[in-house]
Amino acid sequence: MSRINLKNWRCDKINRRESQDKKRSFKLKNGLVRLLKQIKKEFRLLWTDKFNMFIALIVPPLVILALGLTSGNPRATVQPINCVVVSYDSNVFIDENNFTESTLDDYNLKYVEAVNASNLLNLVQFFNATEEIYAMETARNLLTAKQIKVIISIPVDFSELIEWGYPGLIDCVTDSSDIQKIQVSLNAVYDSIKIFVFQNNLSPQFKIKGYEEFSIPEGYSFSYNYMIVLVLSFMIIGVGMVSTILIVVQEKPVARLLLTPVKRLEILTAKYLTYISILIIQNLSLISTALAFGLYLVGSFLDLFLALFILGFTGLTLGIFISSVSKTKTQANQLFLATFLVLILLSGIFIPIEAMPIYLQVIAYILPLSHGSPLINSIITKGRSVFGFDFFALLGVSLILVGLSYIIFQRRKYEV
Amino acid sequence: MVSVEDLNVIFGKKHIVHDVSFSVKKGEIIGMFGISGAGKTTVIRVLTCQIEKKNWNGTVSVTGLDPSKKANHSKILSNIGYVPQLELLNLYFELTPMVNVEVFTSTYGMDKKEAKKTAEKLFKILDIPKDTWKKRVKKMSGGEKKRLSMAIGLIHSPDVLFLDEPTTGVDASRRYDVLSYLKKLNQQLNTTMFIITHDLEAALICDKTAILREGRLLEFDTPQNLISSLPSNGLVARISIENLNQKIINVIQGYPSIKKVLRVGNETIEVLMDQFDENLPKFMKFLFEKEYKVISMSRDIANFRRYFQIRIQEEETKEKVQTQIELINNGGPQYQN
Ligand SMILES: Nc1ncnc2c1ncn2[C@@H]1O[C@H](COP(=O)(O)OP(=O)(O)O)[C@@H](O)[C@H]1O
Ligand SMILES: [Mg+2]
Repeated sequence: MSRINLKNWRCDKINRRESQDKKRSFKLKNGLVRLLKQIKKEFRLLWTDKFNMFIALIVPPLVILALGLTSGNPRATVQPINCVVVSYDSNVFIDENNFTESTLDDYNLKYVEAVNASNLLNLVQFFNATEEIYAMETARNLLTAKQIKVIISIPVDFSELIEWGYPGLIDCVTDSSDIQKIQVSLNAVYDSIKIFVFQNNLSPQFKIKGYEEFSIPEGYSFSYNYMIVLVLSFMIIGVGMVSTILIVVQEKPVARLLLTPVKRLEILTAKYLTYISILIIQNLSLISTALAFGLYLVGSFLDLFLALFILGFTGLTLGIFISSVSKTKTQANQLFLATFLVLILLSGIFIPIEAMPIYLQVIAYILPLSHGSPLINSIITKGRSVFGFDFFALLGVSLILVGLSYIIFQRRKYEV
Repeated sequence: MVSVEDLNVIFGKKHIVHDVSFSVKKGEIIGMFGISGAGKTTVIRVLTCQIEKKNWNGTVSVTGLDPSKKANHSKILSNIGYVPQLELLNLYFELTPMVNVEVFTSTYGMDKKEAKKTAEKLFKILDIPKDTWKKRVKKMSGGEKKRLSMAIGLIHSPDVLFLDEPTTGVDASRRYDVLSYLKKLNQQLNTTMFIITHDLEAALICDKTAILREGRLLEFDTPQNLISSLPSNGLVARISIENLNQKIINVIQGYPSIKKVLRVGNETIEVLMDQFDENLPKFMKFLFEKEYKVISMSRDIANFRRYFQIRIQEEETKEKVQTQIELINNGGPQYQN
């Protein structure tokens, strides 16, 4: 009797446990089904938002593709550096030890040949300083105008030293406003010397004496100045865009406002003027802060101000353009992200613009960020005027965007 | 104030509004009724210069000006006020009511002080509590937002105020509030109002009502006139019958003097008949003879809601008959073949 009972009891227990297990697995299964249904719903929603899918799935591979197209091209990686050779070699050289005069110049043209033979250098012009007294001036102007990266100067005793078996000497003036490029320039000059030594069977004893042009003087922080140039253009364009991408899409009551005598033209112009005035204040405070913290500024305050202004203006026209094109806030945000990604990629900071295929170069020069660093740089370190290629390129692009934004805003649908 | 003659609106191949004509006199409240999709908003959009001339034709005049001329738009828009259906499209939620008023008055070139005075007057009429005047619109209740919308629509003392579905989305209990505020504004400021709505209760405050169905204007008259045009001047008998069903209704419909039977509840019908006072006793006797269990009977006069139902029903039967005739006409030649 008791045994049977025990058995029953056990059976009961097992049954109960089984049914509990069943219940639990049933619950788990239900939960899983619900989760799957939720995932399905997410996919359905995602499918309705094609642009989001585009950003998530298509853009990243496109970016990698663009990188591959630009840096995978071996020819594009070796970009010759523009240079000028100024030779003083045929001037009269007076030996200070015995006061003998000498006008040896056997080697300067041979060196020029070596420069021509080097793949790393591109000789823009050769000056014989004996005949052209303003050779160095002209060369420096070319350097300021960014047409060349280095001036190779052949000293007066160049041929003499080689002839007499001393180590040869070459002076280099590099554009040091961009520190990343100094070493590249010097390497290229070394390459020409290697070729020169090889072609003329010389003993490989050569010295390069470097002079840095446009470098940051002592007393100023080098890294601070370098970083500022990089950060300023990113920040100003970025902030300009971010502050404006929503101002059109977000403003729903415009629909009702348009049922008063106000004109669309006036509404959009008011937006531009408001954000321009904010931009001016932002720029002034930016420059003052930068100067207070030791920005080395060769150019004028006004030039720098105008440079920052045009950059910021391009940023805000881009922002307003995106805003007037977009139908919803989400769309504006996505469009902003996509645009900014392209701007950064083609800014020339990660991939040198000269190394890009020509069609990408064209796009890069149309996009504003590629003009940012060069523009600010040329003012801060070289003291050039703001009114150059970069400025007018930015002005052109922003004016086109302004025009387009007016046309699009005029046609934007507002219904109450 | 507003006159419309033979208005037609066509979007591409869609003919939305057909030959609509009506006119609004100063100080009147006009209600245009129709189910959604009837074309009410489209009519108002023509009147408020929102539809390009190429999409409509007809002779339209708003405050004496022709909206088909672009040069008139600015003037028309300063002569009219508009209260849209959605507050979201009308108010800057992040700004205070007073700043909202400033935003909208500035576009009319109004003096700031004067605008403020007008706003305060309107806020008082509309019972917008003083403590909300300086808070963000976001913090106001739905009803307060609606009333602020009306105040902004009236801020520049327009000749005509257009209202798109003013009671839709408002709590059932507040709907009558909105309507009585509109009546109050109309009485105190003598503002002409043009209301479009599918809320038939709004007819309570209307001097004239228009009924729009599928882009066609069925009626345009005072609600009293419309109701009187029903058999026996709109007298109805409301009858409750136990276990009411379609069969019973069909029998009742067949009774000679009965003009219309409307089922208004589960066990309740309303009937319209010729010579009401004479025929009602006979009809009741008929019901008893049929042994239907009549629970209650009361006599009443039809309201606008009943009129609207009857009129729309009539139109639908007419249409059904029309399509049947067309079917027969189309089918006829086929049989002859
Ligand atoms: N711009 C347009 N283009 C094409 N069809 C439109 C347009 N505007 C409205 N409609 C159509 O006109 C019809 C009437 O719309 P509407 O006037 O908004 O009706 P209601 O306000 O009475 O609800 C609807 O079927 C709508 O789809
Ligand atoms: Mg509507």
